[in-house]
Amino acid sequence: MTIAPAPRQVRSIRSRVLGRNHDQAKPERPVLVLHDVTKQYPNGKLALREVDLIIPEGDFVFLVGPSGAGKSTLIKLLIRDELPTRGEVVLDGQDLAHLPRRQVPRMRRKIGIIFQDFKLLPTKTVWENVAFALEVTGTSRSQIRPAVDRVLALVGLTEQAEQVPSQLSGGEQQRTAIARALVHDPRLIIADEPTGNLDPLISWEIIQLLLRINELGVTVMMATHNAQVVTALRKRVVALEEGRVIRDEVGGAYHRED
Amino acid sequence: MSLAATATMVLMLLLLAGFWIIQTGLLAGLQFTEQKVEVVGYLQTTATTNQIATLQAEIAAMPEVANVTYVDRDTALQRFRASMAAQGREDLTQYLDSNPLYGSLEVKLVDPTNFGRVGDALRADPIVRNVINIEDLVERVLTVTNVLRTAGTVVLLIVGIIVLFIIVNTIRLAVVARAEEIEIMRLVGASDAFIRWPFVFEGAMVGLFGSLLTLGILAAAADPISGFMADFFRVLPLQFGSLTRDLIALVLGAGVGLGVLGSWLSVRTYLIR
Repeated sequence: MTIAPAPRQVRSIRSRVLGRNHDQAKPERPVLVLHDVTKQYPNGKLALREVDLIIPEGDFVFLVGPSGAGKSTLIKLLIRDELPTRGEVVLDGQDLAHLPRRQVPRMRRKIGIIFQDFKLLPTKTVWENVAFALEVTGTSRSQIRPAVDRVLALVGLTEQAEQVPSQLSGGEQQRTAIARALVHDPRLIIADEPTGNLDPLISWEIIQLLLRINELGVTVMMATHNAQVVTALRKRVVALEEGRVIRDEVGGAYHRED
Repeated sequence: MSLAATATMVLMLLLLAGFWIIQTGLLAGLQFTEQKVEVVGYLQTTATTNQIATLQAEIAAMPEVANVTYVDRDTALQRFRASMAAQGREDLTQYLDSNPLYGSLEVKLVDPTNFGRVGDALRADPIVRNVINIEDLVERVLTVTNVLRTAGTVVLLIVGIIVLFIIVNTIRLAVVARAEEIEIMRLVGASDAFIRWPFVFEGAMVGLFGSLLTLGILAAAADPISGFMADFFRVLPLQFGSLTRDLIALVLGAGVGLGVLGSWLSVRTYLIR
């Protein structure tokens, strides 16, 4: 596995499955570039120090490191929940620091985000939870229906479409969240400890699903503590420690291998 | 947000409406008192009907004057007897062989503070015997009424601010309960307006519903209250129609306005990052 841009053929499979084209996306342009990013919180804590990171289109990246290493801060910078103290965070060619506030929602639609605790709306059905991500963007009903049906088929939840989250297993809830993250056809999927609340078997199912989505051409960045998964898959691994990138290798394991 | 917020809204609007009604009654009472301030010129017994009519017209033409009433000597005697009878005293005038009272011109003023020129004009005419010096009385009455008026306004303002805070905080609690929903909306890329709109709409609905409920309660309570206050309204220069109209406008405006404001402010906390 290389970090080269996804080939054209992959892109066409992706547009067939997701029903949309990404012609405007130049394969040469990385999805995400972090340059010299430092983040210091108002309480003085240095969460990130001089981080450089380039993630090309179609990549699959594990973000590893002990608690407090800066993984969560990094993700907050990507969704512009926080701004870097210094440096640039460039998503799809746009520097988030210089993005006007009004443009932030539009930028967030380029990202699909998956959390450890799923963050589903408990009163809505699976179908409505997924459709919600399109409704907020003002997509018309006639476009929402096929898009949601397609993405639910992709994650294998067509049968559970009318159930509410409390009726689902943990794995099914996380697959709903993945469907929601995917339905608006994002450039980048960020998964923050997506298997943290799931047993090992279900965790593997979720990882397999993320890998399949990645094969369809969607860039995936996954923060995790699951050493077994990281080591087994031999994907690109970015390790953070005390706010610094201490390792960035393709085909790496969870721990340093000397 | 609905039930708790609507209940709070109703109670607070009732409080506001109650204080407003008291304030309106107070103002009307003060106005009534101030209208009682009048300039009275007593006339010589020798004055002819013609002279009196000329003076009355002259005074009535002054811009400060609301109206001028001529009270002739017989009327004055009747009034005196009536007031003696009302106080249960013996009528001493029956022992006199002639009417001892003078006729008078009673001048009601547009603004009770402007009695000076009217008094001067009356004094200048030779048919006027004397003008009652009302200066002291007017000043005392005006001091009292002004203090009461200011105090009433201040109390109403304080009640208004209390109502504002309580309603805004109740709605905030309801919005906090849905913080996760707001967070999810932000994460999937909803615009601020998209997130805000349902909350503001709900706030407006709570306000509207609360106001209508409040008005319903007030309407139900209006009959017993107006029976109790019938005398009050008969004496005071209050129009029940315009009072009702103002009250409806106040309750509806405050209810919907505070509902919208409360939601707007509460959601704002989550949108500013």
